[in-house]
Amino acid sequence: MTRNEFLLQIDDILGLQPGTLRGDEKLEELENWDSTSLITFIALADSNAGVAVSPAQVVNCTTVADLLRVARVENHSN
Amino acid sequence: MTSEANTLRPGARRAPQLPTALADLLRNRKKLKNELLEQPNLLSTRIAILGGSTTTEVKSMLELFLLAQGIKPTFYESGYNRYYEDVLFENQDLWNFKPDIVLVHTTWHNVSHFPELMETESEVEQRIDHEMTRFRSLWEKIHSELGAVIIQNNFDMPRLRPLGNLEASQPFGRANFLMRLNAEFANYSHTHSRFFINDIHYLSAQVGLTEWFGNSYWYSFHMALSPTATVALARNVAAIVKSIYGKSKKCLVLDLDNTLWGGVIGDDGLQNLILGKDHAVGEAFLDFQRYVKNLQRRGIILAVCSKNDPENAKEGLSHPDSILKLEDFAAFKANWNPKPGNIREIAEELNIGLDSLVFVDDNPAERAFVAEQLPEVAVPDVGSDVSMYAEILEREQYFEMDKLVEEDLNRAAFYSSNAQRKGAESSFKNYGEFLASLEMTAEIGPFAPVYLERITQLINKTNQFNLTTRRYTSAEVEAVAQDPSFVTLYGRLTDKFGDNGLVTVLIGHVVGEAVEIDVWLMSCRVLNREMELAMFDALIEQCQARGIHRVVGTYVPSKKNGMVAKHYGTLGFTRVDTASGGPDVWNFAVPQTYSAKTRHIRRTTETVLAAAGEEPVAVSSGV
Repeated sequence: MTRNEFLLQIDDILGLQPGTLRGDEKLEELENWDSTSLITFIALADSNAGVAVSPAQVVNCTTVADLLRVARVENHSN
Repeated sequence: MTSEANTLRPGARRAPQLPTALADLLRNRKKLKNELLEQPNLLSTRIAILGGSTTTEVKSMLELFLLAQGIKPTFYESGYNRYYEDVLFENQDLWNFKPDIVLVHTTWHNVSHFPELMETESEVEQRIDHEMTRFRSLWEKIHSELGAVIIQNNFDMPRLRPLGNLEASQPFGRANFLMRLNAEFANYSHTHSRFFINDIHYLSAQVGLTEWFGNSYWYSFHMALSPTATVALARNVAAIVKSIYGKSKKCLVLDLDNTLWGGVIGDDGLQNLILGKDHAVGEAFLDFQRYVKNLQRRGIILAVCSKNDPENAKEGLSHPDSILKLEDFAAFKANWNPKPGNIREIAEELNIGLDSLVFVDDNPAERAFVAEQLPEVAVPDVGSDVSMYAEILEREQYFEMDKLVEEDLNRAAFYSSNAQRKGAESSFKNYGEFLASLEMTAEIGPFAPVYLERITQLINKTNQFNLTTRRYTSAEVEAVAQDPSFVTLYGRLTDKFGDNGLVTVLIGHVVGEAVEIDVWLMSCRVLNREMELAMFDALIEQCQARGIHRVVGTYVPSKKNGMVAKHYGTLGFTRVDTASGGPDVWNFAVPQTYSAKTRHIRRTTETVLAAAGEEPVAVSSGV
């Protein structure tokens, strides 16, 4: 899964318009980022990127880019 | 092809289905919730989740699964691990919330003291008593002060076993201890009708303990269940809530060829059907038939809907290995008409709503056609592998039941007896002669403790012959049964074909010299049998005995109770002018001398309380 595809999925989790997130957003400033979206993110990383992300790893993330890094999403746009 | 079968009623729409893949379910939960909230006629309920661990995900998933059942919940969530304190110390937020249902979401992590190594049996017994005292005090306070139904998790098993297999066999083993607690919880449920076990012991085995519990979820969030486990739990709790509100399915409609046996009876002939232990697939069909037979034994009505010549179809059920026999089916449609029309006729014959039916057919085209034409009918995608049919039906928990009462066990017999009654009907000159031939006897009396469960079940399940569709919890039924300001009546009906059981209920509130009927309902299986007249006769007797001069009846229209719109008018009530759009209100002046309306039902000698609190008075009546 590409970086852009994964960002679109996180948009979806947070109820944002597709294309809203760019990666540099701080998680604490995102209105819908809560424990529910965190758990959904873990399930998404597992099913779509095949990466087992632990809740502790996600708790330590501060930006959307950190999420992409723990989900080992390629850092290219296509 | 009938035109009816091809016409989708305006407004009828299949509710969105929840995805089975966890990631899809989690990712789309907000969108799914919004779609599900658009369904018409959602039933509202208030659920307090009292958690022994973090419950945010439980609430979120439970909301989705309840909405998928047509139930719109409002939630109260206790603080983390405050399940006990919130109740015992009467958290005002919880008290003000007034829950209909309390879900006590505890797991093995909430056991306060496990046995120590080498403790004796009597020491372990004391620990069990201690745990049970703690939980009983919780449950009893919820019942007595909040008046709510309780759904209580039993215990899952710890994933780690420091004692190895001795965990299960030694009294001081944790697994052994938890299994004994589970047995104690089950015993409590046997004696408390408003208490339901959410069997997470089974669910954790079904999901697998490795998947059920995740260290990282526990240490990071104190979630005692993984997301996969949370979905399984939410699905199961939603099934229990659905059954409490009488929304479980009642009837299984089955195709025949390649559904109940392998092969096509019309082409292959009886001797070549694949059914029986001497063939791998034949044994799977046999096991599916056994599963269906077990459903029928516990009260699920069976019907056949098959594209076949009727004689061929019946011949298939005479196969020597067939567990299901022709007499097991309350409705039998074997013809070449489109299945949606046949299924609609089955619902009409059985006097049940289309939303009470589940249709199983191996043919995906038939399933799709029925699903499109009859959105109320549940049509599981059973595939074409017979070994999976029962699994798929189980997964959907269509037939979950809150309690098993005698009427459930007899229901299948009621419906096959009804088929005999209908057969008898055609041989009489007029309907009165037919009714007389049924040799009907009614037992009508005030609510008695032995019937309260069945009365509650009827109040919460009856939709068609139901004047107000007002629902009562068990606690409310118990309360009105003891309250002298209420008139309560139940009715049982037997005839020469069998016992129809407790089929009708009436609750009236005495206000001054009038009784206002709050609930009047009757099972449709005794429709047009004069049972409603027998109930009215009994009500008037009660009024005369208690000095009540007026009966006020209310008809609250619903999507399903059009059949009783003229009920009060037919009984001789006068309609009161009411605001347009409001319920219809009707008045009946109780005469000093009254001639019973029932002509064909003999009433047994029963005890009728002239007024609650007085000595029972023997009353003999009949025609």
